[in-house]
Amino acid sequence: MSEVMVQSIGLAKSFGSNEVLRNINMEVRRGEVTCLIGPSGSGKSTFLRCINHLEKHDRGELLVDGVMVGYDLRNGKLYERTSSEIAEARSNIGMVFQRFNLFPHLTALSNVTIGPVKVRGMSSSDAKERATELLRRVGLEEKAEAYPSQLSGGQQQRVAIARALAMDPKLMLFDEPTSALDPELVGEVLDVMKDLAKSGMTMIVVTHEMGFAREVADSVYFMDQGIIYESGDPQEVLVNPQSDRLKSFLSKVL
Amino acid sequence: MSALEEHAENIEVVPVRHPGRIVAGVAMLVLFLMFLHTLISRIPDPQTGAMIWRFRWNIIGQYLFSSLIFHGLLLTIELTVAAMAAGIVLGVVIAVMRISHSRLLSAPAAGYTWFFRGTPVYVQILFWFAAGTLYPTLTLGVPFVHLTVFTFHLNHLTAVEAGIVALSLNEGAYMAEIARAGLISVDEGQMEAASSIGMKRVQTLRHVVLPQAMRVIIPPTGNEVISMLKTTSLVSTIGVYELAGVANNISAQNFENVALLETISIWYLAVTTVLSIGQFYLERHFAKGSSRATPETPWQRLRSDVRGIRSKWRLLPTGMTR
Ligand SMILES: Nc1ncnc2c1ncn2[C@@H]1O[C@H](COP(=O)(O)OP(=O)(O)O)[C@@H](O)[C@H]1O
Ligand SMILES: [Mg+2]
Repeated sequence: MSEVMVQSIGLAKSFGSNEVLRNINMEVRRGEVTCLIGPSGSGKSTFLRCINHLEKHDRGELLVDGVMVGYDLRNGKLYERTSSEIAEARSNIGMVFQRFNLFPHLTALSNVTIGPVKVRGMSSSDAKERATELLRRVGLEEKAEAYPSQLSGGQQQRVAIARALAMDPKLMLFDEPTSALDPELVGEVLDVMKDLAKSGMTMIVVTHEMGFAREVADSVYFMDQGIIYESGDPQEVLVNPQSDRLKSFLSKVL
Repeated sequence: MSALEEHAENIEVVPVRHPGRIVAGVAMLVLFLMFLHTLISRIPDPQTGAMIWRFRWNIIGQYLFSSLIFHGLLLTIELTVAAMAAGIVLGVVIAVMRISHSRLLSAPAAGYTWFFRGTPVYVQILFWFAAGTLYPTLTLGVPFVHLTVFTFHLNHLTAVEAGIVALSLNEGAYMAEIARAGLISVDEGQMEAASSIGMKRVQTLRHVVLPQAMRVIIPPTGNEVISMLKTTSLVSTIGVYELAGVANNISAQNFENVALLETISIWYLAVTTVLSIGQFYLERHFAKGSSRATPETPWQRLRSDVRGIRSKWRLLPTGMTR
């Protein structure tokens, strides 16, 4: 168990000639909430996807809980991990998407149980019990039998959070979890996330909700064009921006 | 007080009339009755001049349930089931290979589809019937070193088996394209979400992608089954006499072509009807969770029609009183 949950050193990633991440340095300590902000297209999603290896980084070092993502260093050589090792690593990292990505053919309850049952081999009755408890935790116990199409955006996103939590992740990644929601539904999702933060979950949250960042985050990183321009305490970074880029970004989102 | 409230005591809602629909309906009815008349009318026999049923209704009964026809029907169903079952499995495998990131898998899959869709199924049937002379045995093993895993005797293939092999391989190519359409219709985000909870590729395919792809796959697959039902008649070219082949043989002896064509058409229609009903319920099953309402079963539809007619007779929309 490492005190540092995520460590990124000089991380870089290109799509063809498009350098999306240039030199990302970040340290997220266990139990901390880190908010990642920045304009659209700056590489925030790509960075999150690198953390659970949905994208392969090109250069730099990325460690989750002290273990290198995607590679294994043995005898001075980097061995690429097999797909089942990567799947195993992913199962310990929860991810919440902007567009929810619930499984539409399954009920809310089955969306939450499918991971523990199929990936962890949990018995379906144990998984159901635990899923019911998680749905209660996100305030949707009575919607267990509803299909995603019968739920509001805010409810779907809360089910998605429960689905991620069902795997007992040590780290949760949120990629603009409230950006696709009607304004009046944003609060219910942020409330669930605040509870989660309070319970000690390590979280990296890409968001445009500056209020949430100021209230909940332990640190804030501002990214633009694949580079971290400013980082630190949210009060410092958000209240007293140094770079012109951050100043102009904040003037647009606030 | 609004105009509506003023008359609230004795207001009547007059439904809009559709005179065009009534005229069209009557015209359809007349055409239908004329057609019905041709079906049940008699014409003079070309040879004897005696009046006979135009459609030989008096004699089709003896063919409809004759054991020859019945055996033909059974063989048709067997060929259809075997070829479709193998074709669907093959098609899904080829579709999965086709969307693989590995060119070593996707290229052969594309080549397979190209070849088997590009040559007539008629030719393929004749080919597999003759294959035994080209490749008496098929052996799986390591080339050039005489190491064998198993051997398959093509020269022992019966005509029925050759027909099934040919129809299956051909169907596999068409089903591959149908399955591929289904697989690529599933949103990319679904794969990501499945990966993010640690599901492996095969698990994702099995539990997340395929169940969603089924909604796209089933309707054209239903088409394929119904089409296969009739394509099986091509195997009569290699001496396998299924429904159409049997009928052809009988009419070659007694010249009752019309009666036999009617007989097999009735059977083909009957099987197609059963298949369509099966497809309806299968589609309903895989529509679970879809935002569109699942279609009503005929029984449910009948009930809601009856409710609709009843409320029409009451004239007033519910909630308004006279
Ligand atoms: N799979 C991909 N292939 C090619 N380009 C990509 C891909 N994913 C993201 N990009 C590009 O990377 C850049 C950063 O995207 P993204 O990480 O989604 O930014 P953000 O989340 O900050 O809006 C964009 O220019 C985008 O077009
Ligand atoms: Mg993004």
